[in-house]
Amino acid sequence: MKHLRVILFTLYSFLITESCSVLLADDLFSEDVMPILQAKCLSCHNSTESKGDFALDTRDGLYESGFLVKGKPAESHLVDVITPDGSGKAKMPKGKEALTKQELAVIVKWISAGASWPTDLARIEPAVVTDTNWWSLQAINRGVIPSIERVPDGFTIENPIDAFVLAKQLEHDLRPSPRADKHTSLRRLYFDLTGLPPTPEQVNAFMTDESPLAYERLVDQLLASPAYGERWARHWLDVVKYADTCGYDKDKLRPNAWPYRDYVVESFNRDKPYTRFVHEQIAGDVLYPNTSDGILGLGFIAAGPWDFIGHVEVPESKIDGRIARYLDRDDMVTNTLNTFTSTTIQCARCHNHKFDPITQQHYYNLHTVFAAVDKAERSYGVDAKVEQQKSKLNAQIKSATEEMVSINKAIADAAGDTYKRLKEEAAQLTDAAKLKTRMTAYGYHSQISSAEDKEEWLQVDLGESVAITEIRIHPTSDDFNQIGNGFGFPTRFRIECSDDPTFKKSSVVADQTKFDYPKVGLAFYSSSPKSVAARYVRITATKLTARLNDYIMAISEIVVLDEAGQNLALNKSTSAATSIEQGERWAKQNATDGIWPLPVDVSKTQQRASLLLRAEVELKNARTPERIKRLSELANLIKDSQAALDAQPAGRMVYAAATDFNPRGGFQPTKGKPRQINVLYRGDILKPGEPAIPGTIPVLANTVDTFQLPEDHTEGDRRAALAQWLPRDDHPLTWRSIVNRIWQYHFGQGIVNSSNDFGRMGELPTHPRLLDWLAAEFRDNGQSIKDLHRLIVSSSTYRQAATHNEKNATIDGGNRFLWRMNRRRLSAEEIRDSILMVSGRLDNRMGGEGYYLFELERPEHSPHYEYHKHDPRDVKSHRRSIYRFIVRSQPDPFMTALDCADSSQSTPTRDETITSIQALALLNNKFNLAMAEYFAQDLQQSEQALADQVQLAFERITGRKPAANDLQALIQYAQQHDLANVCRLLYNLNEFVYVD
Amino acid sequence: MEVGKSQSEIGSSRREFLWNSGGGLGGIALAAMLGKDALAEPDGKLGGVLHHPPRAKRVVQLFMGGAASHIDLFDYKPALEKHHGEPSDFGEKIELFQSGFGPWAKSYFDFKPYGESGKPLSDAVSELGEVVDDMAFVHNLVGKTGVHSQATYLQATGFQRPGFPGMGCWISYALGSMNENLPAFVVLPDHRGYASNGPKNWASAFLPAHTQGTTIFPQRKNPIENLKAQSGFVTDASDQDGLKLLNRFNRTYNSDRVGDSRLDARIRSYELAAKMQLSAPESMDISKEPEHILKMYGLENIGRTYGKDINVPEEAEYFGRKCLVARRLLERGVRFIQIWSGNDNSFPRRNWDSHEDIRRDHGPLAKGMAIGASALIKDLKQRGMLEDTIVLWTTEFGRMPSTQGSLGRDHNPFVFTNWLSGGGIKGGVTAGESDQWGFKPLDRENPTQVYDIHATILHLLGIDHKQLNVRHNGIDRRLTDVHGHVIQDLIA
Repeated sequence: MKHLRVILFTLYSFLITESCSVLLADDLFSEDVMPILQAKCLSCHNSTESKGDFALDTRDGLYESGFLVKGKPAESHLVDVITPDGSGKAKMPKGKEALTKQELAVIVKWISAGASWPTDLARIEPAVVTDTNWWSLQAINRGVIPSIERVPDGFTIENPIDAFVLAKQLEHDLRPSPRADKHTSLRRLYFDLTGLPPTPEQVNAFMTDESPLAYERLVDQLLASPAYGERWARHWLDVVKYADTCGYDKDKLRPNAWPYRDYVVESFNRDKPYTRFVHEQIAGDVLYPNTSDGILGLGFIAAGPWDFIGHVEVPESKIDGRIARYLDRDDMVTNTLNTFTSTTIQCARCHNHKFDPITQQHYYNLHTVFAAVDKAERSYGVDAKVEQQKSKLNAQIKSATEEMVSINKAIADAAGDTYKRLKEEAAQLTDAAKLKTRMTAYGYHSQISSAEDKEEWLQVDLGESVAITEIRIHPTSDDFNQIGNGFGFPTRFRIECSDDPTFKKSSVVADQTKFDYPKVGLAFYSSSPKSVAARYVRITATKLTARLNDYIMAISEIVVLDEAGQNLALNKSTSAATSIEQGERWAKQNATDGIWPLPVDVSKTQQRASLLLRAEVELKNARTPERIKRLSELANLIKDSQAALDAQPAGRMVYAAATDFNPRGGFQPTKGKPRQINVLYRGDILKPGEPAIPGTIPVLANTVDTFQLPEDHTEGDRRAALAQWLPRDDHPLTWRSIVNRIWQYHFGQGIVNSSNDFGRMGELPTHPRLLDWLAAEFRDNGQSIKDLHRLIVSSSTYRQAATHNEKNATIDGGNRFLWRMNRRRLSAEEIRDSILMVSGRLDNRMGGEGYYLFELERPEHSPHYEYHKHDPRDVKSHRRSIYRFIVRSQPDPFMTALDCADSSQSTPTRDETITSIQALALLNNKFNLAMAEYFAQDLQQSEQALADQVQLAFERITGRKPAANDLQALIQYAQQHDLANVCRLLYNLNEFVYVD
Repeated sequence: MEVGKSQSEIGSSRREFLWNSGGGLGGIALAAMLGKDALAEPDGKLGGVLHHPPRAKRVVQLFMGGAASHIDLFDYKPALEKHHGEPSDFGEKIELFQSGFGPWAKSYFDFKPYGESGKPLSDAVSELGEVVDDMAFVHNLVGKTGVHSQATYLQATGFQRPGFPGMGCWISYALGSMNENLPAFVVLPDHRGYASNGPKNWASAFLPAHTQGTTIFPQRKNPIENLKAQSGFVTDASDQDGLKLLNRFNRTYNSDRVGDSRLDARIRSYELAAKMQLSAPESMDISKEPEHILKMYGLENIGRTYGKDINVPEEAEYFGRKCLVARRLLERGVRFIQIWSGNDNSFPRRNWDSHEDIRRDHGPLAKGMAIGASALIKDLKQRGMLEDTIVLWTTEFGRMPSTQGSLGRDHNPFVFTNWLSGGGIKGGVTAGESDQWGFKPLDRENPTQVYDIHATILHLLGIDHKQLNVRHNGIDRRLTDVHGHVIQDLIA
């Protein structure tokens, strides 16, 4: 090695003398050395990262590293590591091409000359990657389908896929596997397309169908079944991080996330063209106004985690609040670019992307697209006219309410000092007027009326005509609608006495019908008539009192006193125009039961009431007829607008991207005004740099990467621009990305295995020409995902057996060239759904709210999701797993043991682990144990003989009949123990959890 | 890169490796990943030497959920005693979570010096005085946020956002378990509820599923879910016979499918599961522990009932039981144990987020923690295990030296305390001081970050934190992100 270097040195010296001997030291650095360091070294060896404890972005960092000996390149470790060995590879730059001879020579010369660093240069920054010479950034080339001269025996080219794949195989001296047998094909197709096993009847129908088109017919049948969408939507939800809770601290519920989940299921089932599917998820509200799907699709933007504390408890004015919103936008940008373009945009948050041509500016430009939206609930399923009408009505209510407040304030101001003094004195008695003891019998309550001017009355029969000295009416107390004391006390009323129970003739002893009686809480109303004798006393409300959006009269007690102060009404019979008779609490007879709610201090409460009444009189003078008229107009306007609002068709809610929503604490809507976005130095919110402008990443040739939007554009225009940019015909990433994902789910491996990363850190396509052909075919022929499935599953490549072949395995052990089908373990959902189905418990109903696999405790604060308390026999939980309520921070332990997706991160491919925890879950989880018992019961109802029961169980689990000795062993086991034990065992078969 | 080469092959061989080792329970996955020879001893006692010879084999992390106050427990501040009650002045504009800028407030508990080192500890944690010479303090830890969730993620996973593996996951990924009959990474949550982020703090994220923390609730009827069939129809005999028959069926199935190591690995996983069924209950059974040990852990009266107010005996029993179970698990070869004190932010408060009343809540929580933690250190030491077991005490951030209300303190992400013990840690030292108030680090230019703590622990386990990388979605991820320095002052 040392020897070799000496030789190389001679060579460099030669080159240098020839090319650049006249440069001054500093110029040599700035013009030749620095660009090399920037391009080849700085991305890893900078002050922030300093891999290998070596940073060369500053003079000190470089000089103190010990990697370099000034004037002596041969002794410098730096030269050691960048010098290629005999095979042309060097230690550094790690994993990349070695420096060219020319570049090496520059470094050596610079060190020889003393490795000077210009005094005015504090730090050098890594270079921006501008090189678009990368496979995924090239235009899609439909290409030519390879022609195969000699197709191996037993293999048929069904469609171009086979030609592309076979060509590669032959190139590598591989031979395709024979076609899988009919039974294997059947089970493979059922699980692949629907995620469910075939029933014994379905097995029988297919196995006995001799038609040459039997397979194709089955494909069509499965693609048309609703179970298809339920299976394939799950793949999409894995990628977009869907869950039904927010994650982070508290992990609050998202009760309306599910409409987006249903939207994805429906979109797959209806085979929505991909462009439309993309559009709807970024800007459906803008591009397809007045459609439900246009809003439901926006659930995509909101699918990821959301920090409740950082948004609700910390306002945007605080740094922590801004960080929370910034991280939330990062989630939106990342989710969009990862999902649709397989690009790791998130790498450019703190620094320019080190490997792909994406700068921080590009990253923050994408932030501007989502700068006005937040994750919140919004309504859908109502048309725009309704929405418009609603916001008009809401605005009317708001302005009328504001005007009322200002008129009332003007009245109070005009009422003068006496009024103010009275109010202040009354305010000091507030505590004394509070409720002391609540009674269980509240009093009398009229029927509820929708109009306030309906007359209600209540009267008491004193038994005989007697002399009356005083009449007292006691109010009630009820916390309904937080009303409390004075609940339902009539707003306007009169009190009459008569000897005629029908009150055709009567004497009015109190008249409060001219103006509204003020709210005086528990103070009783008192009237002292002069020399009246009567048998009946009646109170009639001429204006009822508001309750919720309706009106009532409620009274706790009518007290009628004689001269001696004795209550003549006590326990006397009562009657009323209408009455709610509701147990102990409300009954008209309560009005004479001698029980009414008491304030803390009765006399002070009365005193307070009289102060308030006097204040009301003062106020009366300030109430000019104009003001009264206007107030009544406004009240009517509010009433009418509210009624009109209530009459509008109610929208349903979905958790999605929104610019307007019900504010909560610090979480306030932008109302469509985008937040200011700047490029952030090192991703630090406190170090804003250049402003960002709406735009995206530079992947299209000959186009600018910023959106050309007018000065007065809306936030929706920005999202629409991004939505339309994604599925452009000339987009090199979007089409490759989606066909690669579909391919990957069919084969268990993508043509590009890193399906979220087509950049330089990702993997290369195994079949680049096939990928391009598929992308072009898909893009240009209706963008039907179902057509793509059809194409793939009808290929001979897909229909191969999964069997091992020693010769092929020696050449391609990883099966990159698909010389056989990949055997796969069922996913968590497939296992759970299959268990439900074979056990006769699967409830096929689609859609709607997610069911719980836990007991929910303390949802009002920090919800507890208690999985260990769930009863697996709860029939609500016997639906397909896609409909379960997914808790982000506390995923279902059983499903997690089976490698279900983690909704905190994008999961483009599921792991397939084999652990003893998993074995224990399948053996002992309470779900499996409960299902084993159901399964046994179901078998016992279907078949009489134990042998038949066991055979049926085996068929449902494997789709085939058991061998005689296997059946015998199972029967014996069932005899020794019982059928449920057999069922439990069958859930654990390799044959059950694997598909060939 | 050659077309279609490299990663998928590495990926599949890595997966195959896991399958071959029965899902990695006894696995040394990282060694395989790094292309090094697996250096595990045949009996799986130590999962190989990764980058350099290790000083420690095991870790216990004690995590105080809700943010424990450094000032009231470990970081003595005479200046606060002197200026107690005077208006606080931080000399700069800062934002607090709930704007708790009351006057300076001295510790709600008295401090006394302990041990040969004379380290002052508050009365709330006086039990730790007995082991203080085995402890090393870091008083200049700084966080990045005063929001519980993000800060808890940062301490637990090295990242502020969800989606990253916990420290225990990385360590079990790198080193595997020392006993294939038990999980490598065990979590003992506060039984009253999870702290911020719940199980996401110990989820495996993009590492293989077997590396995630297995939760154990010693108080529950089923401490480990699924360990035993809780059903009327499964008997020991039907279980045994069933496993035999299952084995037979699976072998037949596999024999028709040569060349697929996963299928055999799955058979092996059932064998390991059966072993775990025997080992796990025994490892959690503290009933045969001698009386003096139970007493040391504060477990004299297991199972007694407690009043509704927070109190010392109750906190001591809960935390002590977890510590004792942890010691038993460590003895049996569990690699990483995380013990949580403090649940979610609900009321009545049962966590360290003492906005309202430090004395009421920190008092019993700290006393219970100190009894258990002190017992654990003493017990490990008397068994000769402290020398290769690291105990780390941490929390998501500290609390302010000013009051909030009159009895509480607001969040302080600007400085807080960690302490470590055992496993190559130097005893009786302090590496990094806070300023005179306990407001920020004394040397603001050179604070300690969680990355440094993580790097140091990995270092003691024989792992170079910069070399423990896994590529995920195009990015090489590691526990310490792009940061981290081994804290040499902590190392004996």
